[in-house]
Amino acid sequence: MTLYLLFILAAVAGLIFAVPVRAKSWTALTLVAAGMLAAAIPAVGILSGAEQRVALWEIAGPFGTDRGMLDPLSALFVVVIAIGSVASVLYSHGYLAHTLAGKSAAHVSLHYTALTVMSLSMTGVVASEGGYSFLFFWELMTIASFLLILYDAQRREVRRAALAYLVMMHIGFVLLVAGFARLDAACGSADFAALRGYFRTHDVLPLYLLLLAGFGMKAGLFPVHVWLPEAHPAAPSHVSALMSGVMIKTGIYGILRITSALAGLPALRTAGLVLLGAGIVTGLWGVVLASAQNDAKRMLAYSSIENIGIIVLGLGIGMLGYDAGNYAVALCGVCGALLHTLNHSLFKSLLFFGAGNLLSQTHTVSLDALGGAGRQMPLTGILFLCGTAALCALPPFNGFVSELTIYLGLFDGIASGSNVLTSAAGLIALALIGGLALLAFTKLYGTAFLGAPRSHCVAEAREVDNVRIAAMALPLTGMLAVGLFPQAAVGIVVRAAACFMPAADAAAHAERLLHPALAGVCRTAWLVVAVVALLAWLRRRALRRRTVTAGPTWGCGFTAPNVRMQYTGESFSEGLQSIATSLTQNSGEGRAVDKAEIFPATHNFDIRHKDKIDRLFAAWWVELLHQINRRVMRLRTGKINHYVLFALAFLVLVFVLSVLNLL
Amino acid sequence: MALVNILLLTLAALAIPGVVNRTRAALAGRRGIRFLQHLYDVRLLLRKGAVYSPTTSALFRAVPSVYLGTALVAALFIPVGGLSPLLSFEGDMVAFAYLLALGRFALILGAMDTGSSFEGMGASREALYGALVEPALMTAVATLALVSGYTSFADLFTAAPQARFTVVLLLTAYVLVKIVFTESGRVPVDDPRTHLELTMIHEVMCLDYCGVDLGMIQIAGWLKTAALSMLAADTVAAAFGWPWWAAAPLAVAVTGLSVGIVESTQARNKLARNTTFILTIGALAALVFFSGYLLQLNLFVQ
Repeated sequence: MTLYLLFILAAVAGLIFAVPVRAKSWTALTLVAAGMLAAAIPAVGILSGAEQRVALWEIAGPFGTDRGMLDPLSALFVVVIAIGSVASVLYSHGYLAHTLAGKSAAHVSLHYTALTVMSLSMTGVVASEGGYSFLFFWELMTIASFLLILYDAQRREVRRAALAYLVMMHIGFVLLVAGFARLDAACGSADFAALRGYFRTHDVLPLYLLLLAGFGMKAGLFPVHVWLPEAHPAAPSHVSALMSGVMIKTGIYGILRITSALAGLPALRTAGLVLLGAGIVTGLWGVVLASAQNDAKRMLAYSSIENIGIIVLGLGIGMLGYDAGNYAVALCGVCGALLHTLNHSLFKSLLFFGAGNLLSQTHTVSLDALGGAGRQMPLTGILFLCGTAALCALPPFNGFVSELTIYLGLFDGIASGSNVLTSAAGLIALALIGGLALLAFTKLYGTAFLGAPRSHCVAEAREVDNVRIAAMALPLTGMLAVGLFPQAAVGIVVRAAACFMPAADAAAHAERLLHPALAGVCRTAWLVVAVVALLAWLRRRALRRRTVTAGPTWGCGFTAPNVRMQYTGESFSEGLQSIATSLTQNSGEGRAVDKAEIFPATHNFDIRHKDKIDRLFAAWWVELLHQINRRVMRLRTGKINHYVLFALAFLVLVFVLSVLNLL
Repeated sequence: MALVNILLLTLAALAIPGVVNRTRAALAGRRGIRFLQHLYDVRLLLRKGAVYSPTTSALFRAVPSVYLGTALVAALFIPVGGLSPLLSFEGDMVAFAYLLALGRFALILGAMDTGSSFEGMGASREALYGALVEPALMTAVATLALVSGYTSFADLFTAAPQARFTVVLLLTAYVLVKIVFTESGRVPVDDPRTHLELTMIHEVMCLDYCGVDLGMIQIAGWLKTAALSMLAADTVAAAFGWPWWAAAPLAVAVTGLSVGIVESTQARNKLARNTTFILTIGALAALVFFSGYLLQLNLFVQ
């Protein structure tokens, strides 16, 4: 297999390196689109119920046959990857256009090669049956994304973030290798199919938690999410979109795979509780940190953590429901989690593209420098608004459908009395996450896109080119399709959800419970659109013959208001900050205006809200390294006679060991 | 029946502000304004033209339609007593909560669009209080689901609950009334009659709306208050096993009187205390839920 892959890699790289700089993006797009089509067509076939399993590749190698097999679960992820990759390569065309002059051709080629390899390897990850080929693609994906982050390698923070990412991913990788090696040692096979046998005969939790930690590292589960808010803002926006929308979902894929192997085992309850707890903490942590940030891309990165939390929470509820024998809860939880995976990939790609538009047109994503961007960039503004509404799970967009499905599972667990307390915990957390997400993202949209420009960068910004708008419209189409036709969307994920509930007829339960509810959601969504449109029309009609004049914003009688007086992002989330101080580490430069200062002089003040966990991690590592270093430093005395003594000691050691036959 | 439901809910929505005004007037020893004065005021608003700030964009003009539209559709989910509402499906309570959230989203963005520091201040408060009240609302509704065993508003109140849940239901109704206070911006969370922009929450977000827009926002406010009050009234009616027609007058009486009395006797909270107030509602809701669960398990606390 490796041979074939090397051949494909060489062909891709050769082609991209060979074509002229201007054509590289289109070449990459063609390659990605071809690869994605090849994988997505059978995937759509599976999801529509035409086929059960399709082999993508089948290669005989020295370690037995290696197969890439699509089942409904992988098929769903293939679709997610296909949409995300194509949109992101399409977006990169316009986004990178103005940077091409400053980069060498090889640099650009490397970037596009990595982009192509990244999307192909992600498909490999979700299609691989064998554990080792899975790990191979996994590593390929990590390296490709590492190269992608490094596009602006001249910036120090980019190099730092990329290195931190590489280190964290390899810690995760070691955990995964250890897990699969354990599986191989116990069962003689490292395939995902062997997991079920292993869990049946061995102690479940050690291996499950090991793999969960490994996959959670990629997905961004608390507390190993710390790489995410560093890497996403550092990467170019189309890469952030691809990583946040699609790549972290491969971590979710891994979690789903190992969890599906637990169906029907007694350990499922523990696993469900672990997932629910992890989901709640991750979701709340993500959303509170997101609302504290003042950098659009960092906010979006934290919101990815929040959404991963929601997905894992849904999965946990589903597993607890399945364990309690309540298949309706199981179906709702799992379907909600799967659908939210698809939904998040759509709206998060859109939002990162939007942030990319801000960055490329105004050269900043800092909320304090933006403001009124919607007026300068109306299309970006509208698209970003749709993404924001979807992110806050508002009807009629797609986020609402998946969150409602999870809520339905939670309410069903409470009403039927099967998982009352766990469901209540999930319910409170999900409601709070939803409310805080609304706070965080009205802050983002309100300060960046509405109001008056806070700096000249925004006032001079222009709308982006049409290719980028098209790249943003692609996920929007999916968002509206899911939001306005929820039954069809859930019909797709029900087949994947069936993997998690072998004892129950998923389709029948969906028919009985989910479809009537989603028909209601569908009616509601259309009704809201119709009523709002009608009211808007009536209002317009009413105002047509009346005097409509312009007057300044009400300033409470103050005669000299200026744009700097607008509410900033920092002040918008100040209320939440005051009750969630324990989650963030605040570092500030300069001094804020003191309350006692009646006539404030000029102040320069910069505050950052850092993740406490981040510090915890960093402090721990640094402390350990320092300690080891101190011990080792004791040997470095700087005297030649000591070094000769060490060399002698070493020789003696080798001699003794060889005499004892230990070498 | 759905039409009777809508009619009763509309009547309740129109009557509640009148009852509040009358209660306040009675407690202050005044004769008070006409019972339907608020309707005349809004009619006046709906006939006016408009003034828009040049800072605002098209979004600002769309906000009143979205706010009123979501309130209208959300109200369609609410049953009056055991009547069947127009829209009903399993999990419709989530749709109800998120429609209100969509309205709030629109109003907050509209406020941010004016570029005014005061409106941003109101928006930020509204966003925070809205986020904190959401879990309380969900938990209260979950208590109803736990007690009745159903997951849609229409079914929650049809089945007669067992007698042992009466106290739990009454406490849930109490929580819901507190949520009404918060969501409709009444004392002690917010004071609709305050004249200082710095201390406003809901009112300051609407400072730049006038005419038709302001009228629409006010109507939406009535509907929102009526929908949530009706939930509280339904809960009380279910607790005592009262017939369906009792719910509508009960909603008017409960909200009208309680808001009127509280506004005449209490000062509003300091703003910093509001978060504590709202979190306490959430904690109370969770406590009620837990007692409901214990009762359901037949574990009687000595």
